[in-house]
Amino acid sequence: MAHALTADELRQQTTLGEDASSWSNRLLGIGLLLLLGSAAYAFAGPEGSWRQFQFSYHIAFCFFLSMTLGALWFVTIHHLVGAKWSTTVRRVAELTMGSFPLLLVLFLPTLFSVLKGDDGLFLWVSHEKMESSHLLHGKIAFLNPTFFIVRVAIYFAVWIGFARFFASNSRAQDLNGDVMLTAKMRKLAPLAIILFALTTTFAAFDFLMALEPEWFSTIFGVYFFAGCALSFFCSTIVITMLAQEKGRLQGIVTAEHYHDLGKWTFAFVFFWGYIAFSQFMLIWYANLPEETFWFRDRFEGSWISIAVFILLGHLLIPFGGLVSRHVKRNRAALAFWAVTLLLMHWVDLYWIAMPVLHEKGVEFHMFDVSLLLGIGGVFAGLWLKRAQGGLLAPVKDPYFEASLRFKNM
Amino acid sequence: MNHDATPSNTRSHDWKVHGYVAEYADVDSLIHACEKVRDAGYTKWDAHSPFPVHGIDDAMGIKPTILPWIVLGGGITGLLTAIALQWWTNAIDYPFMISGKPMLSVPAWIPVCFELTVLLSAISAFLSVLVLNVLPTLYHPLFNVERFKRATDDKFFVSIEAADPLFHETNTKSLLASTHPAALETCMDETKSAKLPVAFHYVGVLATLLTFIPLALIYKARFTKSDAPRVHLVWDMDWQPKYKTQKQAKFTGFADHRTMRQQVAGTVAWGDDPDASPLTTGKDAAGNWISNFPLQVDAQMMARGEERFGIYCAPCHGLDGAGLGAVAKRAELLLASNKAAGWTRPASLVGTLEDARLRRDTPNGELFNTITNGKNTMQGYGGQIPAKDRWAIVLYVRALQRAKFLPDAEVPPELKDKVAALPPAGK
Repeated sequence: MAHALTADELRQQTTLGEDASSWSNRLLGIGLLLLLGSAAYAFAGPEGSWRQFQFSYHIAFCFFLSMTLGALWFVTIHHLVGAKWSTTVRRVAELTMGSFPLLLVLFLPTLFSVLKGDDGLFLWVSHEKMESSHLLHGKIAFLNPTFFIVRVAIYFAVWIGFARFFASNSRAQDLNGDVMLTAKMRKLAPLAIILFALTTTFAAFDFLMALEPEWFSTIFGVYFFAGCALSFFCSTIVITMLAQEKGRLQGIVTAEHYHDLGKWTFAFVFFWGYIAFSQFMLIWYANLPEETFWFRDRFEGSWISIAVFILLGHLLIPFGGLVSRHVKRNRAALAFWAVTLLLMHWVDLYWIAMPVLHEKGVEFHMFDVSLLLGIGGVFAGLWLKRAQGGLLAPVKDPYFEASLRFKNM
Repeated sequence: MNHDATPSNTRSHDWKVHGYVAEYADVDSLIHACEKVRDAGYTKWDAHSPFPVHGIDDAMGIKPTILPWIVLGGGITGLLTAIALQWWTNAIDYPFMISGKPMLSVPAWIPVCFELTVLLSAISAFLSVLVLNVLPTLYHPLFNVERFKRATDDKFFVSIEAADPLFHETNTKSLLASTHPAALETCMDETKSAKLPVAFHYVGVLATLLTFIPLALIYKARFTKSDAPRVHLVWDMDWQPKYKTQKQAKFTGFADHRTMRQQVAGTVAWGDDPDASPLTTGKDAAGNWISNFPLQVDAQMMARGEERFGIYCAPCHGLDGAGLGAVAKRAELLLASNKAAGWTRPASLVGTLEDARLRRDTPNGELFNTITNGKNTMQGYGGQIPAKDRWAIVLYVRALQRAKFLPDAEVPPELKDKVAALPPAGK
């Protein structure tokens, strides 16, 4: 693969074939089937199934939302700093961040249940419960259905807007190779990163922190963002490797790019740990009841085993596993850590959200799996459909050649 | 080799060949040249560039550095140092409980562990880079080649040393020539290194001797005594240009030359009580302790006194006022196991069988004053308990005293059975 790719090879390596179409249909079919089946069971099943459905669905939604947000962040930061090495993998990120409209649709059931006054997922929907304590009463101005819908609308408007802006300009460049498009995107990147930071922070407050409306942690947005970036890098590693298994992107994404994706993954393993500990440490040390209860609920009963599992599996073991340069340049080893960390990110979200429903201890439900796979199937199916509409790498980007030649020190 | 550059500042020393230096105009030709030299099997050679070059490691065939392992060692040393430091100081040598956390409080240690790990990793990386790159190097023969100075500016070089076993005057030169260098020169080196001027030796010896002076002074201080004030390298605020109390002021602004000023008429000094009355002092106008109450005594005041007594007094004096509260009991336990010394038992407020009069003759005003300002090892509670509550406590203490040795005739008939069931007084 040392030789320069010819134009024909480049086209072959960046275009999906017929099998992608059948794969995307299959994934969509399985995903929809799982979603509809689970929904049917939620209504027909035993008492409590609907609430279990709401939580499992919300965790799966947040899992794919975080990965998509990570993609938007990565593309924005790429243009912001004028990165070169990441040009060959940027299209994968652009395709991932095309999932925002799907995520908006997937959020509609939750939004409708809030409108209907269903306080199963978000306790704050119940006005009565919000009046039950002084602390909650003070938050009514923020946590109410009207303002919630306004905020969600702003989040998705910003995300969909910027995702479309970056992706469509990048695709236009595939055709005309206009350098000015890169300059245009670079110009808007600073605004995009600021709005991204604000919307992601508040989305983390709204989607996850507000599950326990009494609790507050100002660093929670950063904590969620760490998971977004981590799951994005892991998913990108998995996607490019799958594409290469199918004979695509070969000679375009090289060991050098995997090495850098691995470095980012390693960095965010530690960044996540740093932020998670910062959040824990201050609350633990100050020992104020209105803050500590969140951790108490997540350390009691069988939840402590999940907490220890996260400490080991999300931080300490991957830290040791990813520290070596050789691991980051080894396909099998990097793939192992990418898949492991994706699963750990889901466990992290599960540990954040699920103790609200199962206070006594861990209770796994088939919804946890069926909805994750269901949303995952639709997510992946539509991803492939988008990928068929264009190339798998921005071949006419002014930095594409530099990215191909890129070598780590 | 006639046209080779020879150093201009020729001294009386002999010159020998250090090696060849080839100059290149761009990175690509440098990498190309490196690959050729690498493939020829040379070991004592180097590439020089004004900036880091991607892919140069491969082109030169450089083995991975051991630096990461050194940094890992530094990091682990830092981590273990931090754990040992905190464990020894906080849990072993000087056990100290901080905001109710355990002695071995791992979450609280992590920031220090993190910082020391990073610090020692960074220091070991910095020092190792210096040592592994043989820095600082004060002299290098390559700088005898005039054009080599542009290696830090805009040119790229490959140098092959004559010390390399494969080095051959003509073969090596033709190898470098085959890489199409922009220039190819022989680098000369002096056979003998220049001698250090004699003055440097004297300065070195003198400096070494001088370093013994502080050590000697410190050593002397270990076994001698002195009344002289300590040496103040940093004065902090030990000496200040100010007057102290009871001294004469040399400052002429005060006619009476006193450093202390008289109270200005019509002002209240800190601690003065302009509204002093029996209610706040416990004394009458003549300065004697009052034995009555300056407030209206009623059941409400008694209830208030009981409550306040339970909060402020009972921990030491006990709920019955006999001097065996929770604090006192714990102190006696510690005394018994030799874990504490110098404990003074809290006074019994109600007297004993042997000395039933003790403290019962104390006037109300004096009891009030003891609560306000403390007595012996007891601290004053004037700042914490308002005057009205202090009087309420005095009232309740009076009730306790009366109840302790109540004659049978005075016990209300409905409580007689209860009193009979109590243990004997004084126990």
